[in-house]
Amino acid sequence: MRSMIGFCTVLCLAGPSLAAGGQTFGKVSDAKAVKLSELVAKPADYLGKTVKVEGLITDVCSKRGCWIRLGGDKEFQTITFKVEDGVISFPMSVKGKRCEAEGVFTKVDLTQEEALARAKHEAEESKRPFDPKSVTGPTAVYLLKGVGAVVR
Amino acid sequence: MKWRRWNVALHRDVGYTVAALTVVYAVSGVAVNHTADWNPNYRVTREERHFTPIAVGERDPMVAELVKVLDLPGPPKEAFRSRPEVVELFYDGWSVRADATEGVATVERPRDRPVLRDFNFLHLNHPKGAWTFVADLYAAALVFMAGSGVLIARGRRSLTRRGKWWVMAGIAVPAAFVVVLRYL
Repeated sequence: MRSMIGFCTVLCLAGPSLAAGGQTFGKVSDAKAVKLSELVAKPADYLGKTVKVEGLITDVCSKRGCWIRLGGDKEFQTITFKVEDGVISFPMSVKGKRCEAEGVFTKVDLTQEEALARAKHEAEESKRPFDPKSVTGPTAVYLLKGVGAVVR
Repeated sequence: MKWRRWNVALHRDVGYTVAALTVVYAVSGVAVNHTADWNPNYRVTREERHFTPIAVGERDPMVAELVKVLDLPGPPKEAFRSRPEVVELFYDGWSVRADATEGVATVERPRDRPVLRDFNFLHLNHPKGAWTFVADLYAAALVFMAGSGVLIARGRRSLTRRGKWWVMAGIAVPAAFVVVLRYL
């Protein structure tokens, strides 16, 4: 019985990564965070590079936890931090918390149809009304393809 | 034969051991199979509230006004605007998204689905680390259960007689899906 308790204790301790400074998902380096406003202002300087962004988690994929949306240092600027399904999963409880997210800064070009489908899907997922007029043409979406994040 | 006694005994005891996890994986499996239709982890309640539209200006005065008109329990822990008229207010475990010009706010409160969220947590290997080892052991035990299970019956019901048809039926169903959906 004693050995079973010991085994279970080891399993539990080796489980979720709860660093003293927050909850860690995946791997995060010690690199200095770049402001989101800087990424938005000069996207070409960062495309394809691994960057760390600090921000407020304004939305979470409620079904799979496979993305979070970060609000940056300035109003009206957000970026989606997308992780591979099953590799990292964010609980909904992280919404409204501060986060440092690290990933590859990526540009995705969408046709109008793709942009429309994406906006519709997002509206449905978050149960918000969808206005097709909000998509006026082809668009480019910037993403951080996730490596890891620390939520505080 | 002696090996049959061992086979039955091991099948029985390994079966007892994996019974709980089999329920966990089976229940969670059904739950996550239907992710397109429902949320297997959370029950999210959304309450729509209406208010007299407020002026769009600086964020902090808008937040203070929204707290008042929506009768919220004090200032939020965090607030953000994704658009000038859309203010998001974040409290502990719940949030509000308000459209100042439309006068509509949605209060969102996610709650864990009891037990099911824990099952999904284990099934989808969210703990990683040592749990991966346990899950691999469980998978190996299931392979053993399959192998030992088909060797239990003797005579007319053995694997080489009636049993082989059941085994083939069990192979045919997934094989048909693979052939039809991947190769035709």
